[in-house]
Amino acid sequence: MDALGLLRPGASVSGLPAAHTPGAATGFALGDHAGRAQAAPAAEPGVVASTASGPLQRRFQPYQNNGGTVLAVAGKGFCVVASDTRLGLGYSIPSRKVSRILKMTDKVVLASSGMQADMLTLHKTLRMRLVQYQQTHQKHMSLTAASQMLSNMLYTRRFFPYYTFNVLGGIDENGEGWAYGYDAIGSHEKVSAVCSGTGQTLIQPVLDNQIEFKQQWGAPKVDLSLEATVELIRDAFTSAGERDIYTGDFVEICKITKDGVDVEEFQLKLD
Amino acid sequence: MFLTRSEYDRGVNTFSPEGRLFQVEYAIEAIKLGSTAVGICTTEGVILAVEKRLTSPLLTPSSIEKVLEIDTHIGAAMSGLTADARTLIDHGRIVTQEHRFTYDEPLSVESTTQSLCDLALRFGEDGRDDGADAMARPFGVALLIAGVDDEGGPALYHTDPSGTYVKWMAKAIGAGSEGAQTALQEAWSAGMTLAEAEGLALKTLKAVMEEKVSGENVEVAAVTAESGKFEVYSKEKLLACIGRL
Repeated sequence: MDALGLLRPGASVSGLPAAHTPGAATGFALGDHAGRAQAAPAAEPGVVASTASGPLQRRFQPYQNNGGTVLAVAGKGFCVVASDTRLGLGYSIPSRKVSRILKMTDKVVLASSGMQADMLTLHKTLRMRLVQYQQTHQKHMSLTAASQMLSNMLYTRRFFPYYTFNVLGGIDENGEGWAYGYDAIGSHEKVSAVCSGTGQTLIQPVLDNQIEFKQQWGAPKVDLSLEATVELIRDAFTSAGERDIYTGDFVEICKITKDGVDVEEFQLKLD
Repeated sequence: MFLTRSEYDRGVNTFSPEGRLFQVEYAIEAIKLGSTAVGICTTEGVILAVEKRLTSPLLTPSSIEKVLEIDTHIGAAMSGLTADARTLIDHGRIVTQEHRFTYDEPLSVESTTQSLCDLALRFGEDGRDDGADAMARPFGVALLIAGVDDEGGPALYHTDPSGTYVKWMAKAIGAGSEGAQTALQEAWSAGMTLAEAEGLALKTLKAVMEEKVSGENVEVAAVTAESGKFEVYSKEKLLACIGRL
């Protein structure tokens, strides 16, 4: 597996670079967590099985995937950022009502999937940085400033990353809506629609098709209204919830316009 | 005067019984020995003009630099101990670049000024953990900081050795500052164009300078709202300016 593949949502998250013997446990894949190691049935979690009387090799397993799907869709003068609220762990649902969304300013909203503990720390650090910026410069952080700061914050953890997959959305200095998609180490792209997390593979192609008009050869590209965008997002989450066990319960939908952020909640199936 | 001050004029950390810090006051006095610099702010931009004292005909005029760029949208004119100004300007160049790195946006003029004043106020402190050396004395220099930003458009700030900064519409510092400030107060108007400000700056400088104004002994710089860029005038542009006087 290449180095970046390790950091993609849904990828098997093995421990950090460590000696890896063939046939040994490969860390844990999505769906596993401590106590459910499946790859090496004989071993206890985090222990690489060895010959009968030899030394045991223990590996550091700092990551956990709590799942969740986040997305951001930008339109003319608005941006919508949405996330489900299910906290998953293996085959369990420890919580159905956990917000993954951070309202950074009246014009900037962040949603993060991945590992809940890392997300909490990232959001807490971001909140601190936002207050410091506001106090130092006597203004609210712009969307572009926030996007660059988030990238830098993720990259400073280049060799022990926050296991989070972020999407950032909002209104920029010119009143235009934009979405930003990130990988775990700060690589980012400014786009009009992006989805990340466990439902990424289910929703991103739909957004590509419906927002960017990909694969719709010759079809005139039309800008979706805020209402139509929200409707599309509801459908996308409902569908993802049918197939992805880590997406469900509720969706928080943040509608960002020049007037501020309006949050609505949407019920998904609880199964 | 000497008797009353002698007890308290050495340490930068010690207030006199009247509540004064003499070293800081002396540093402010040092600026009054410096060459004159004027700054004028208009809605179209800011003009900085400085006098260069050419003490000998053998001196190369271009080697005296009293107006420097901090970032593409901010520049500063100085008066006083110009060597001290380099430390401040270098610091300003670092913080503006760091801000661009972190936030992908230019640093505002006020934040730049604030960070220079934070540095100016570090006299009397011990060296810091980050390796910055302790300062033996306050900086003996005053700056006129001119720039444009998205928040307030063109802006002109004055900083002094005490680390205080004030925003001005027109300000003169240095040896001729008293006369120049009076002249600016009479001539400045809210509706001034940048060209008018340019003329006023040179005229004011000319009035307080002992030598005749030439392309050698003054420096002019401008930052315009239109371009958002700071620019020190070339020799040709400067001579054209002087020609219009």
